[in-house]
Amino acid sequence: MTVESNQLHDALHVPRGKDGRAPDPLRVGGWMPMREYREDEAVDFVIVGTGAGGGTLACKLAEAGFSVIGMDAGAWWRPLEEFASDETHQDKLFWTDERICDGDNPLKLGSNNSGKSVGGSTVHFAMVSLRFRPEWFKCRTLLGYGADWPLDWREMWRYYGEVEQALKIAGPVTYPWGPKRPRYPYRAHEINAAGWVLAQACEAMGIAWTETPLATISAPRGRAHPCVYRGFCVTGCATNAKQSALVTWIPRAVTAGAEIRDLAMVGRIEVNDAGLATGVHYQREGQWRFQRARNVVVAGYAIETPRLLLNSATDRYPDGLANSSGLVGRNLMAQTNQGVYGVFDDEIRWYKGPPSLTLTEHWNYTDTGKDFFGGYAFMAQGPLPQAWVSTQAGNRGLWGEALLREMQQYNHQAGFKIVGETLPQERNRVTLADEKDQYGLPVARVTYSLCDNDKALVKHSIDFMSRGLDAIGARDIWAEEDDTCHLNGTARMGDDPATSVVNADCRSWDIRNLWICDGSVFPTVGGVNPSLTIQAIACRTGDRIRQLAALGEL
Amino acid sequence: MRTNDGLIAATLGALAVVAGAAAITRKSAFGSAVGRRHQPTVIAARRLNRASGLIAASTLLDSGIEHYRGAFHNRAMIAPLVVSALTLAVSAHGTRDARPVAHRLRDSVYAGAALTGLIGTGFHLYNIGKRPGRFSWKNYSWQNLFYASPILAPSAVALAGLLGYYSERLRESRSTGAPRVFGLPAGRALAALTAAGLVATAGEAGLLHFRGAYHDPFMYVPVTVPPIAAALLAETAASRPRKPRRLARWWLRLTTLIGFVGAGFHIFGVHREMGGWRNWRQNVLNGPPIPAPSSFSGLALAGLAALGLIEEHPHA
Amino acid sequence: MPDRYPGYDVLSKRNTASWNDASRQVIDARLAIVDSPEFFDERKWRTLRAICDRIVPQPAGRAVVPIAAMVDRKLADDHRDGYRDARLPPQREAWRRGLAALEAAAQARAGVAFHRLMTVAQDALLRDMQCGRLDGPEWDDMPADLFFRERVAHDILAAYYSHPVSWNEIGFGGPASPRGYVRMYFNRRDPWEAAEAKAGHEAAARDANENM
Ligand SMILES: Cc1cc2nc3c(=O)[nH]c(=O)nc-3n(C[C@H](O)[C@H](O)[C@H](O)COP(=O)(O)OP(=O)(O)OC[C@H]3O[C@@H](n4cnc5c(N)ncnc54)[C@H](O)[C@@H]3O)c2cc1C
Ligand code: SF4
Repeated sequence: MTVESNQLHDALHVPRGKDGRAPDPLRVGGWMPMREYREDEAVDFVIVGTGAGGGTLACKLAEAGFSVIGMDAGAWWRPLEEFASDETHQDKLFWTDERICDGDNPLKLGSNNSGKSVGGSTVHFAMVSLRFRPEWFKCRTLLGYGADWPLDWREMWRYYGEVEQALKIAGPVTYPWGPKRPRYPYRAHEINAAGWVLAQACEAMGIAWTETPLATISAPRGRAHPCVYRGFCVTGCATNAKQSALVTWIPRAVTAGAEIRDLAMVGRIEVNDAGLATGVHYQREGQWRFQRARNVVVAGYAIETPRLLLNSATDRYPDGLANSSGLVGRNLMAQTNQGVYGVFDDEIRWYKGPPSLTLTEHWNYTDTGKDFFGGYAFMAQGPLPQAWVSTQAGNRGLWGEALLREMQQYNHQAGFKIVGETLPQERNRVTLADEKDQYGLPVARVTYSLCDNDKALVKHSIDFMSRGLDAIGARDIWAEEDDTCHLNGTARMGDDPATSVVNADCRSWDIRNLWICDGSVFPTVGGVNPSLTIQAIACRTGDRIRQLAALGEL
Repeated sequence: MRTNDGLIAATLGALAVVAGAAAITRKSAFGSAVGRRHQPTVIAARRLNRASGLIAASTLLDSGIEHYRGAFHNRAMIAPLVVSALTLAVSAHGTRDARPVAHRLRDSVYAGAALTGLIGTGFHLYNIGKRPGRFSWKNYSWQNLFYASPILAPSAVALAGLLGYYSERLRESRSTGAPRVFGLPAGRALAALTAAGLVATAGEAGLLHFRGAYHDPFMYVPVTVPPIAAALLAETAASRPRKPRRLARWWLRLTTLIGFVGAGFHIFGVHREMGGWRNWRQNVLNGPPIPAPSSFSGLALAGLAALGLIEEHPHA
Repeated sequence: MPDRYPGYDVLSKRNTASWNDASRQVIDARLAIVDSPEFFDERKWRTLRAICDRIVPQPAGRAVVPIAAMVDRKLADDHRDGYRDARLPPQREAWRRGLAALEAAAQARAGVAFHRLMTVAQDALLRDMQCGRLDGPEWDDMPADLFFRERVAHDILAAYYSHPVSWNEIGFGGPASPRGYVRMYFNRRDPWEAAEAKAGHEAAARDANENM
């Protein structure tokens, strides 16, 4: 809003990664030196997007000695002084440029799933950091649905370990499901009442639960403070406890010699006559500019990545870059995010602490008793007032006195939401609309419809969670039937150029020096939040690129 | 409990602790005594009063902070404060008392503290028992170990009482020949008791520093120095020393020191949390526990008392 | 509606460790919003205000939250949400069209402006909108139910629940940095959280809230 203080919005208007320095998010008003590259000299890698995928890869490549520029359309924030405890104000972290949604189940984007800042969506993500179930990497072969990944779970297990250490994930001492994993680096956080409700419901239903592994520190780490349980996580962590890419990978990348350009919107990837990428056209400070590069990595998340590839179409590649399979933009998977809620006599006060302190992966690891493919986890919840009213009004159609009365139960409410697997469907896709955004680029049109399997999974979950709440004496139980969360797919990886966009190394089949490294490459999504897997893939890609370079195969 | 009450209680408590600690550590208390003040049992007893008082000071502050966190939702949560405060007071009295006879009031306060500690442990176990996950050794038992009522904390109250009670027995023990308490050689028994206390306290520090992910290398100090002190004490208890226990003495002094230095570290730790001391109402509770490390000092003092006894009376 | 958190005022924490400078600036600015339109013309403004009064009937005897002005500012800045159902036009156009269509419906039904209708009649019209029972040329393909859900309810309620007065009403802690929370278990309250009135103990809750 106009009247809101402008200096808290400074970062949205004036780039900070400039003149040989970068903001140091861990110190008030702090700066750190940053290397700069010239536009007319090709760097080894330009990475578009600095979130879970791009930020991680920038760090790994810079540490491997490559010259790297990371570009992000968003701002470079200093959480300690620029993050208010306020849902409305903090939408400065979200991708709020227009996107048009249709299909049977039009998606809700923005605050729900899309970040726009250095650090990407990890700046406002809920920090849930889960590993995939090993079988999911071969779910077509082993479980009979979706598509196999070209990755081996044992290798991924190693990279999960690397990311968990890098982010000092706070989690349980032993994890109840799946093959053995090491103890999480930091202790699990104290469970809040909302989390205990989930524990009680699981015990009543006879299934296992655990403390959620979270990317927010439970003890000091360098200059970062431990979590203070303020509960504003999904609007950005002013404490810096949250181990977002902004405070982890990015400073590491800068220290290792990467340059990060904030407020730099890439509009087009340039491809030469030989069919190789030569750099990116980007807008910064109101001007279109060109950065030369020997390799281009797209890491803009599952909507902006295909949008950029489609917007970069040329005569030679009329359907967009890397799209000989026709799969760029297709197989978008938005995980389902339905919830159930109830009222308790006890005071819960679910605004305290990270929202999902406990969870169960029971239905990810159990294959019997299901009438659908795939799995889901469900987790404790802690919506802030705006998020909660939007759930109440959006799903139950409440308004007026009825709504106000319902809202007064806020401190006695508890509930669970799923992260549900959805199947890849080619009809769920990102295309270009006629409308243009503020940069003059066609905006994305996002088409989404649930399939019968997705609906059966949702029904199963609502039924199970409702019984759980009922078993522990919750009153007025109701279900939120319509919500989705994380986005994945749209540039899937695979072994076959005809049925995938990139290979296991995130290298596009069509253009040798064009890579895609973010949530877009998932062939399937599983029933867990994706960011740990995105970061593990980025770590692997970084290692692979180093090996390929050593072999002269770049 | 209203915020202001809590504040006032906390301030009063802190004042009492400072006053008590000052009284205990006043050197002159030892110098001013007359007559048979040099009798080794009395000297050792007074040292034990001092040790007990220091531990009581630590438990007074610690249970004050922790039970304030728990908003004193159960009336009984005031008990350890009252008992620790009394223990502190009678210990202050004891350190200045050079008479070789037990004191009725001190005796009963110490006995009461030992009992309170035991009952407290029962309460804490009961509390954990009410939580989901209870004691099952699945991973959420860690949740209870870290965040529910701490199981080991009340035993510090008991330890203060026990040491004090022991000091009274020591005071009244026969001065001819080697002193014995409860039929055991007093020095050795005390060394063994102290060694056990040090091991338990180091265990608790280990658990809490594990909770803090050993994010600072100094966090290894309380899990290395005191156990070595305990080992030296245990060795002393088990052998018939001929020569002075030089190493043990210095190591116990070091342990005394780290107790106080540790408190300093913890004060700094609170400053390092989000909002620092300005946000003390959160950080004193969620940051490192400031009073906890001084238990080591109290125990090390008790260990020194034991050494004194043994060196004076090789058969003690 | 009962006062569940008597005497609780989030703003009383403004100068404590619960608020940092950024939160103070943001909330100060929000409290300074003037109750007059920048984006809407007079007619639409009156309609919008009448709608806001029905979506969030504010209790008498309390400072009134200028919800309509907050919605108006969102549109003045064209501050968007980052997605739009393809059946809806961009938010400014949706609001203009929707308000005009609602006026037309009021005129057609009762011959008076929406804001002059009795509250029951206003509610009836809004309910019809919510159920998609309103249509006509003024809607121009925009589904009334979608407009109700994605714009009317969404924008008005987001505005109201961004205001400290609404936080007092539901016992939300409000801004919380650098100081967050300590007591996480059932029925545990930090001294800087709202105390809830329990039957028979209202005075104790008021006392706690006023001495925060
Ligand atoms: C509220 C919320 C809660 C979440 N909670 C969790 C959770 O608990 N656990 C979990 O695992 N995941 C969670 N997620 C999802 C997670 O944040 C994302 O899946 C993950 O960050 C995606 O990584 P990415 O690298 O693909 O994209 P992002 O992290 O979104 O990064 C993409 C970046 O690219 C930039 N960009 C895009 N296009 C361009 C362009 N053309 N030019 C320049 N820059 C561009 C964007 O500005 C953005 O910064 C959550 C998301 C949200 C919104
Ligand atoms: S609850 Fe913890 S992680 Fe979340 S915003 Fe607060 S300090 Fe950050």
